[in-house]
Amino acid sequence: MSSVALTPGGAALALFGALLVLLFVRVPVAFALGLACLPILLIEPRLSPMMLFNETFKAYNSFILLAVPFFLLTANLMNVGGITERLVRLSRAMVGNFPGALAQINVLLSVFFAGISGSSTADAASQSKIFIEAQVKEGYGLSFSIAITAVSAVLAVIIPPSILMIVWGGVISTSIGAMYLAGILPGLLVAAAQMVTVHVYAKIYNYPVYPRATLREFLYSAWISIPALFTPFIIVGGILLGWFTATESAAVAVIYAGLLSIFIYREMNLRQLYHAFAETGRLAAVALFCVGTASAFGWLLAYYQIPKALLENVTSWGLGITGVGFFIAFVFLVVGCFLDAIPAIIIVGTILQPLAQSVNMHPIHFAIIGIVSLAFGLVTPPYGLCLMISCAVARVPLKFALKDTMIMLVPMLLMLAAIIIWPEIPLILPRLIAPELLK
Amino acid sequence: MKKLIDLYHRLLTWMLVATVAILIIPVTLQIISRYTELIPSYIWTEELSRFLFIWMVMLGAMIGIRERTHFEVDVWPELKPRTNALLRIVSSLFVLVFALVFAWWGIRFVHFGWAQLSELAELPMPFMFIAWPLTGATWVLFLGESLVADFRVLLEAPAE
Repeated sequence: MSSVALTPGGAALALFGALLVLLFVRVPVAFALGLACLPILLIEPRLSPMMLFNETFKAYNSFILLAVPFFLLTANLMNVGGITERLVRLSRAMVGNFPGALAQINVLLSVFFAGISGSSTADAASQSKIFIEAQVKEGYGLSFSIAITAVSAVLAVIIPPSILMIVWGGVISTSIGAMYLAGILPGLLVAAAQMVTVHVYAKIYNYPVYPRATLREFLYSAWISIPALFTPFIIVGGILLGWFTATESAAVAVIYAGLLSIFIYREMNLRQLYHAFAETGRLAAVALFCVGTASAFGWLLAYYQIPKALLENVTSWGLGITGVGFFIAFVFLVVGCFLDAIPAIIIVGTILQPLAQSVNMHPIHFAIIGIVSLAFGLVTPPYGLCLMISCAVARVPLKFALKDTMIMLVPMLLMLAAIIIWPEIPLILPRLIAPELLK
Repeated sequence: MKKLIDLYHRLLTWMLVATVAILIIPVTLQIISRYTELIPSYIWTEELSRFLFIWMVMLGAMIGIRERTHFEVDVWPELKPRTNALLRIVSSLFVLVFALVFAWWGIRFVHFGWAQLSELAELPMPFMFIAWPLTGATWVLFLGESLVADFRVLLEAPAE
């Protein structure tokens, strides 16, 4: 392209410079991304602000992203319809006799929740309301309670179903079914790391324990939870068997949660239903609006071939698969501090893909490294959505819970390292269950 | 004036709820029609869901400005009310620029696609495109309201 007014370096400086200044003066991220594009669109003779409209329109005119409101709606229906309540009871029967009982329940509930909804923000929003106050009442530290609620919420996008995997599949064309299977083991490992962390905390600070549940209580709580626990099998199974697409599976989850709430558990009224719809629309819209402006930003980066310029050096370092894996995780972790996960996939995922390809990293391995790193980005400041939500529910500034969050991240990062070093961890389940998806 | 804006805000929220509630229908029809003979497979289901989806995003983005739910990166320590108001004014002015861009070029965007029909159901595309300038105009209204409030705080005599 000979007629570009700016060099890649100049354009990168203009885009990222403007973005950082705008974020610094507290312009909302979605607007900062769009505004940062503006000067270049006006300077560059071949471009015009119309591109903002084309790119945002293209982003929203997508069947894939429909999964976002559906998963949020599923979560909201679970809460008002009594599903969450039953899962809390089951979790209590399972881990209530461990030290730090309520915090263990918090983590385990996130695992169950992750299997039904694919949205971490929904998990953080609902569990903050359930657990933070309750934990503080039982003598847990407030900062600890906020931190564990926020970090356990990230499981929702690692354990299938997952919004991030659907978006990843749409942007980088990777099999969503295979990613779902690949996410199970890493998700359980991260959850295990969190439960160990809670155990250590509980021993140090003497957190309370509940009496062991009777076998009867366990069986009963499991029995009433069975219909809810069946959801992940419908979703993941339905996709693997080719019954429905990823987006449709999210709609199936909504319908299933709705039917359970209305016909089996019968706890929902119209007012709550309206509320669930309104909350879903609000959260989904602000998250998705950002995806549009991020797409415009990403489009400009690609227009000036900035990614290529940035990666030219890295390929010459001669890293192996593991080295590239750590590099990819590092980039996603840093970007995750400043951007929401979906825009990060759109802007950065596509940049890194050639690098992963150049060392023959398996696309599923690449996807899981990226998604787990971005999931951790949901609790890293200054822009960690789950941590922001938990702190907002507890009415404290983000800094308040920072130390405990960082401590909890350490064992989680070790699990990420394990996933990078041993590709078998994500790949073994898809290999056993659906080897045809890995080709 | 505030009452009018409140009313408009309520109307937008109500429309947002409607889009979310209806959104589930076309996708469900799509699945049902594939596996049963109960209903014919409608070709417009996917298009209708995308249409509703676009409106859901834009309506939510509109009220997000008034409810201040668009996510921000906050690196500042706790600020005094007046400093905070000043910072909010600065950031609102930037957002206002973006809102004006949306309103101004949005009208051209609608103009541009005036005669276009959607590919499958042949819905007129301006029904979708019009969401952009409307969003811009709504932001200008909501930002105007919050700017007035922030300027009041800024100009108030300090409490000491």
